[in-house]
Amino acid sequence: MDKRGSVELLNLERENTNYNKNLSLDSFHSDSKSSSLNSKQETTSWGKTSPSKSYCSSSSTSTENVVSTLERRKVIKATNAESAVSTRPDEPPLLPGEKVSGQAREVTYLCPYYGPARGVLTVTNYKLYFRSVDRDTPNVVDVPLGVVSRIEKVGGASSRGENAYGIEVFCKDMRNLRFAHKQENHSRRDVFEKLQQYAFPLSHKIKLFAFEYAEVFPENGWNVYEPIAELKRMGVNNDMWKITKINENYEVCDSYPAVWAIPAQATDDDIRTVASFRSRGRVPVLSWIHTESQATITRCSQPLVGVSGKRCREDERYIQLIMDANAQSHKMFIMDARPSANAIANKAKGGGYESEDAYQNAELVFLDIHNIHVMRESLRKLKELCFPNIEETRWLSGVESTYWLKHIKCILAGAVRIVDKVENHKTSVLVHCSDGWDRTAQLTALSMLMLDPYYRTIKGFEVLIEKEWLSFGHKFQQRIGHGDDHHSDADRSPVFLQFVDCVWQITQQFPNAFEFNEYFLITILDHLYSCRFGTFLCNSERERIQEGVKEQTVSLWSYTNSQFDLYRNPLYWANTHQQQVLIPIASIRHIKLWKSYYCRWNPSMRTQDPVYQRIRELLVLKEQLERQVEECRREQQSRISRSNVSPT
Amino acid sequence: MNDSKDTGFKSYILDEGSLESISLNDLNRPKLLDGETLVTEAQKVMMYAPLSDRKKGTLGILTVTTFKLSFISANDKEEEISDDCYQHSLLLGPYEVCLSSIDTIYQVGERSKKKLLPGQNVSTKVKELLIICKNMRVFEFSFKFADKDSGKNIANALLHHAYPKRHPLLFAYDYKEPYYKTLKDVKMFRGTEDWKRELQRTGCKNWRISLANQNFHMSPLLPQSLVVPASVTDSSLNQAVEHFRNRCCPIWVWGTPDGAALVRMSDILPTITDRTQENIMLEHVRKSHAEKRQPYIIDLSKDCPSPKDIQSSYIKLRELCIPDSIRVFKTQDFKFYGLLDSTKWLQHVSTCLLKAIEGANEICRPNPTTVVLQEGNGQDMNCVISSLIQLYLDPYWRTVSGFQSLIQKEWVALGHPFSARLGLVANQETDPSPLLLLFLDCVWQLLQQFPTAFQFTETYLTTVWDSAFISIFDTFLFNCEHDRFLAQTGSSPIILRSVWDWKEQFLEKDIALFCNPLYDDAYLYRLKPNVAVAFLDVWTQCYSRWLPDLEIRNGGKPQIDLCNRFITSEIHVLRQKLLSGDVNGTLNGGREENLQLLKKVNSFFSI
Repeated sequence: MDKRGSVELLNLERENTNYNKNLSLDSFHSDSKSSSLNSKQETTSWGKTSPSKSYCSSSSTSTENVVSTLERRKVIKATNAESAVSTRPDEPPLLPGEKVSGQAREVTYLCPYYGPARGVLTVTNYKLYFRSVDRDTPNVVDVPLGVVSRIEKVGGASSRGENAYGIEVFCKDMRNLRFAHKQENHSRRDVFEKLQQYAFPLSHKIKLFAFEYAEVFPENGWNVYEPIAELKRMGVNNDMWKITKINENYEVCDSYPAVWAIPAQATDDDIRTVASFRSRGRVPVLSWIHTESQATITRCSQPLVGVSGKRCREDERYIQLIMDANAQSHKMFIMDARPSANAIANKAKGGGYESEDAYQNAELVFLDIHNIHVMRESLRKLKELCFPNIEETRWLSGVESTYWLKHIKCILAGAVRIVDKVENHKTSVLVHCSDGWDRTAQLTALSMLMLDPYYRTIKGFEVLIEKEWLSFGHKFQQRIGHGDDHHSDADRSPVFLQFVDCVWQITQQFPNAFEFNEYFLITILDHLYSCRFGTFLCNSERERIQEGVKEQTVSLWSYTNSQFDLYRNPLYWANTHQQQVLIPIASIRHIKLWKSYYCRWNPSMRTQDPVYQRIRELLVLKEQLERQVEECRREQQSRISRSNVSPT
Repeated sequence: MNDSKDTGFKSYILDEGSLESISLNDLNRPKLLDGETLVTEAQKVMMYAPLSDRKKGTLGILTVTTFKLSFISANDKEEEISDDCYQHSLLLGPYEVCLSSIDTIYQVGERSKKKLLPGQNVSTKVKELLIICKNMRVFEFSFKFADKDSGKNIANALLHHAYPKRHPLLFAYDYKEPYYKTLKDVKMFRGTEDWKRELQRTGCKNWRISLANQNFHMSPLLPQSLVVPASVTDSSLNQAVEHFRNRCCPIWVWGTPDGAALVRMSDILPTITDRTQENIMLEHVRKSHAEKRQPYIIDLSKDCPSPKDIQSSYIKLRELCIPDSIRVFKTQDFKFYGLLDSTKWLQHVSTCLLKAIEGANEICRPNPTTVVLQEGNGQDMNCVISSLIQLYLDPYWRTVSGFQSLIQKEWVALGHPFSARLGLVANQETDPSPLLLLFLDCVWQLLQQFPTAFQFTETYLTTVWDSAFISIFDTFLFNCEHDRFLAQTGSSPIILRSVWDWKEQFLEKDIALFCNPLYDDAYLYRLKPNVAVAFLDVWTQCYSRWLPDLEIRNGGKPQIDLCNRFITSEIHVLRQKLLSGDVNGTLNGGREENLQLLKKVNSFFSI
């Protein structure tokens, strides 16, 4: 193993390819002979501070994620501003509310790419921070403890050999970290305990870091989503749909939001009866309405049909009301996300699916998307393939054998079918799976993203997540296992990750249809686990209110919306004229492994997306030329007016 | 798949009554080139839409000429749809292919399909023909509404004309249209001049131009002007070639001012056990190095795929790109990555890219070393690896004219057997194998990893591949320079027409799309690609463009490409304004028009 420092290697790499050098703005400056651009660098050198690039250009290593990279940048900025403050090198940069809880020296980080590095390991109530001391440019590992799923001791008292005794940290974001301790220092026990404590605070009766975190942002992200404003944006209330607060106290359905839109004809009694016929009371409510055709997407859970084939007149009538609310079509589709075998099997447990006999004019379609357990297993295989090293021999067959892309394809294909029915056939679609909080959320959110350009803006996408995922009770707490040490909990599953992957696939097919870029998606995923923000905590709106999440934590959107420029897609400018509806091709031939997410810890992944960088540069140049032309014009005009005023 | 998608084809209700209403007299006949003659035509032929399971089709007239297979739709409107947003060739219509690009013809029956063999005479009724082209395009024609013998006649005409038995039967020999060369900047490497200038440009010393092969006296497979070690005499060259396969002694192709050179040669003849001549030549190569360093020899027959491997890989890849029904498409989709793996195509691409890195590393190391590429016949993998090494190291070859000169030098002048490898003439001694495609795919991968390093686009690369089968251009027509020389001087001399003269094929608006808007001419660095299969991609534009189901409506890479074009053209306008001092007037003229175009463009735009 080569023992050179990562940064050194990276610099070497850079010299060889001269990749950054050329793409940096500096080369552009000299090219355009401009000096005024330098001042703009802070805001425009996006490429340099973006997650993938920053690895190459600053003193960081592969083991950072977007979060830490951005943070460090901020710290650097801060120290630059107040040059009096000099942080000691082994003191990690701390967030407001973050406290150091333990530190160990002479720890070796076993970097899978650049070999062992010796240094200081710090554990705070938010992160694990390692900084090497044995090389000029330090090797830094900076990992929020929220991403940790499991911590294990490696080796015991009898362990021989260098680096055989230490700790291994398994992460939720596709990587593992290994640290070696010297037995004689007795540092392992303390580090291990501190890590356990702050990686799994809930198992240790400690609050999640989000409740300690005290940073203040100019915008309050908790105000991004206003349920009634969002319904109004789509034209509700109208003749056919009304807003109801029947669930204001979460009594009809504890996993649903307080505000719903339902068919105008439906009475409160109807709703209560329908709720008793739907799993966990999750009645069909409105997700999206086509403002012209009035075709809708509604969502719910499976009907409690059972083995005997129970029926519920009120439920049938209620579905009919949803159908009737759309005058354009005399039929309606019920899209059951599950494979039909699973739907049938659910009958034995009291669930099931709508029979077409009972629901006149409704056509039932199974979308064949597998359950959370299958998806978890698929991601496990994918991690094996991607980390630490990309399995090079038979890579393609390896990707195939994880089935990950097949699942992605299935979800996308399902959403495309929904969009096709709503858009091309003006027919309303009701979507459900078993409980309606996993696959259903994937399908409704993706369909809405394809149908409505609003959700393709940065704020619109935040609204989409708030609405279809958070308010409708996707169980983030359970699926991610925030702060909980039960790493093998069968309720954990990468459902939301799959959704973001699908979004990424669509952005790849429609590169100028989205206001946000890939880094926005990666940032969301990093904070899905980080527990720094309150956004993805708890399982439902009700729980979040009970826990006082809004009052006591910061919203992820406060953070993202305060650095909008970082997440902007430079190609989005053409969008004003773009078509409304996106129909991605759900063929595996177009579906790619999202390497810049899944394989991002691998240093050879770094030379990604020079296209966007180049476009940024060109746009900067264009702006600058435009300013010059404008100045020139003003100068000419003032000269003309001067010569007019003072005729000599 | 999305079942309701409009594929741009008009559906016909397949009953006799409705067909009568179409007046075939109003149909356009195919335009003929000068020297092109009509062989046979069939009316009321149904061309099925790809992947439509014979449920969608277009009715029209099918013609075989001495140059092409032509289908002209009865529905004129279709042409309009495709005209604006797809590449428009001046030589071939949207549903026309040159006979040289036809690979396999199947007679399709109720339950089976039968491969028809070149030269065969079909005597039974032909209901349907399935035609597979070398560029992965597929045509499926039904003759159920056509006259009795139409299918048979078309099949026999194709079997005769699409597989010429002799080279002079190719259409290029009949094409009489005069050629006015507008080509500049491309070095053809036919005469001494281009080689001399190349020696000067690279600044590589101790090599000289030899005229030992004037009039192909020494070797028919080498160009008439050769660059050889300064220390070697013509007579020892003459002696040495006797010992090399294909008489390909070591030839200089490129070098650096440091004194390292890139040299190509073939193996010693298998019948010769004594390697003295090879050693003598390599000793001369050593002496030509500035510091007389031993050259580094790369044996390409050892670790690289053979032409046979490449062909079988290509056939498997093609199978994956030409599903003949939705069912097959879906089965392939089900296990696509595994199937792609088993084609080994990307492995071969990876191997080539890696071998070239090995060579480039030697030339670029702290003690630069001359690299000698050695391969059996000296004319297949040598071309691929030699070209790649030069693309890595020398930015000149990454410009359009440089790239064209590179192909002229490494492939055309140094005798890649195009006619045989592209299968232009039936029953040749050398098997077909798409080495050119493998090379273009490698370049495409480089373009993905270094999008600002190349002056050309993927559309350009795809077009080069398509053009390899258009038998009016001489560039990819011959097995070696000697054959070209003979064809030019024979009884019915051929008109040499370079494929690089793109105006022969396209209008300016299409040629403009060959230019990469992201190209940065200050990008002069060495390319070091990631070569692992995990970092490679499938060249979708080239391989999938004939499957309309895969076309992303209003999406795909052209959106990025066009946006860049708009930005760069605006930058250009702004610079002009500043230069001229005329800063008045609107800044974003044409933007509206551009946005309108973006709205129409799909993912296979410009091909």
